[in-house]
Amino acid sequence: MRILVCVKQVPDPEAPVGIARDGLSFSVGDGDWRMNRFDEFAVEEALRMREAGASGIVEAVTVGPARAAAVLRRALAMGADEGLHILCGEEGRLPGDVAAWIAAAVRGRGDDLILTGAMSEDAMHAQTGPILAERLGLPCATAVIAARLLPDAAAGPSGQSGTGGNRLRPSFIRVERELEGGLREALELPLPAVIAVQSGINRPRYPALSHVLRARSQLLHTVSVEALPAPPRRERVVGLAWAAPSGKTLFLAGTPGQKADRLAALLGQKALL
Amino acid sequence: MPSDIAVIAETSAGQPAPVTMELIAFAKALRGDGSAPIRVFVLGAGVEQAAAGLAALPGTAVTAFEGRDLGFYSAEAWNRVLAPRIAALKPRLVCVAHDAAGADFGPALASRLGAACITSVDGFRRGPEGIVFSRPMLKGKMRMEVVPESDTTVLTLLPGSFRGGERLLPDGPAAAGEPPAPESLTAPGSPEIVPVPELPLKTRPLGPASAQAGDADLAGAEVVVAAGRGIACEANLSLLRRLAAVFSRSALGASRAVCDAGWLPHRLQIGQTGQTVAPRLYIACGISGAPQHLAGMRGSRCIVAINRDPAAAIFQTADIAVVEDLVSFVPLLVEACRRAQGGGKGAGS
Repeated sequence: MRILVCVKQVPDPEAPVGIARDGLSFSVGDGDWRMNRFDEFAVEEALRMREAGASGIVEAVTVGPARAAAVLRRALAMGADEGLHILCGEEGRLPGDVAAWIAAAVRGRGDDLILTGAMSEDAMHAQTGPILAERLGLPCATAVIAARLLPDAAAGPSGQSGTGGNRLRPSFIRVERELEGGLREALELPLPAVIAVQSGINRPRYPALSHVLRARSQLLHTVSVEALPAPPRRERVVGLAWAAPSGKTLFLAGTPGQKADRLAALLGQKALL
Repeated sequence: MPSDIAVIAETSAGQPAPVTMELIAFAKALRGDGSAPIRVFVLGAGVEQAAAGLAALPGTAVTAFEGRDLGFYSAEAWNRVLAPRIAALKPRLVCVAHDAAGADFGPALASRLGAACITSVDGFRRGPEGIVFSRPMLKGKMRMEVVPESDTTVLTLLPGSFRGGERLLPDGPAAAGEPPAPESLTAPGSPEIVPVPELPLKTRPLGPASAQAGDADLAGAEVVVAAGRGIACEANLSLLRRLAAVFSRSALGASRAVCDAGWLPHRLQIGQTGQTVAPRLYIACGISGAPQHLAGMRGSRCIVAINRDPAAAIFQTADIAVVEDLVSFVPLLVEACRRAQGGGKGAGS
């Protein structure tokens, strides 16, 4: 079985981020990029599915400039088998473009399952998974908090005797989607399908040393976006800006001790103590 | 030139969902001076009553797709039914909630229609280039402004950002909500009911799965001390417990990140996919203030935020902001509160 995981390189949330001079993208220190947290959950989920089945290839794909190869290496270090780099320029990309390029690069290859993270931590569009599915004509489920391939190893062979032993190639995936207020709903999708996973679906593993060494030198497949059909431009970012303070927030000043005293006094005044 | 604005409604227990009322208010604000009714689409099984309720609102024209195969929500079913109808209508804007369903079918619908897709919107302004939509990025620290470059745009609106026709979230460049246009004086209409016969689907919606019950103590608490990823390790929860112990009727809550890490159980999660709380006092400790978390606590009477990142988005929503490392600050706060309460309660614990 072939599992494709889409991963994105985003600014490290712990590192300082600025707005580039063009006002349209981030300015980030060279070492301050990392894999989108939601995509780590997606990579982990792909690896667990591969481990639960008899065989399988997990390939990570990213759309990004040259520096984005680092997140493919991170996926390989976690245990992914292959990496595909769709190489574009430095400017920020909208999810419509990203989905169009990934679809063009993988259409017809026979991937059984495509995983994405629910959204990116930086742009937070939450569009790439569903648009990718639509472009490939595949069913899709988002906000997936639990997933199981069927038939799985627990199910016995159901009348099909294959030459590859007694593990059947999965043909469905059963998912639980997270709704509002702690509720969930269940859904079954035929493969091939796309699922966008929520954080907390699993606990992503740390890279094993053997994988880290392999990941450093492994050849990545690279495709330039110039070689793919140009995606239709349906939206345009006109600017990024820092969020303005509301003007109604009281920022306490002084030493920590003074702030603590002031806050206790304010809470006392509001009869909250 | 397309001018209609469509809203895709959601229902809950046979009634229009609260977020749908917000979408209609948002659509009317977008319409501005126009008088064309907002085209509201409802889908489901047994939705006639919800549809009638929506049709009774001034300035709406409601179509309900009614069918047994629409009984459980499914992106495949909704888009199969909606896409041809919306394609024929050619609306300028299709407004959808940015919730579990809307974020699920909305982008796929946009792609199928060849429409622009702008998600997680919480505001807009009118510029020389037309309507400019505004949305949060980087967990709310930054804002992005986007314009459509297609005749039709599917938008998803962040729930809670447009109640009652007035923007609730601060946004530097955007104008405040516009006064609603005068409503048409014609009598409220009745909905168009479109029966949907069998709808064979490739995907199979299986209905509700195990729900995570909310914590009753948290729901009833007067004071909530909430832990975010900024607490850095599970051991630091003890500091927050000491802080909660200062107040009566208090409870510990958590951001999603803390629950994902397994430091607190999911029943204590506060946010769009967890519980919504509105205590007298909400103390957010090490919480960034991403929109999904704000959705679960912005109704709190007094919000205090403690975070060592001065740019954390939570500070836009907080009433009182403390830019400090919480590991060193919280013990100081506990002592200061105990002093303010008087020596009677006993020093330290």
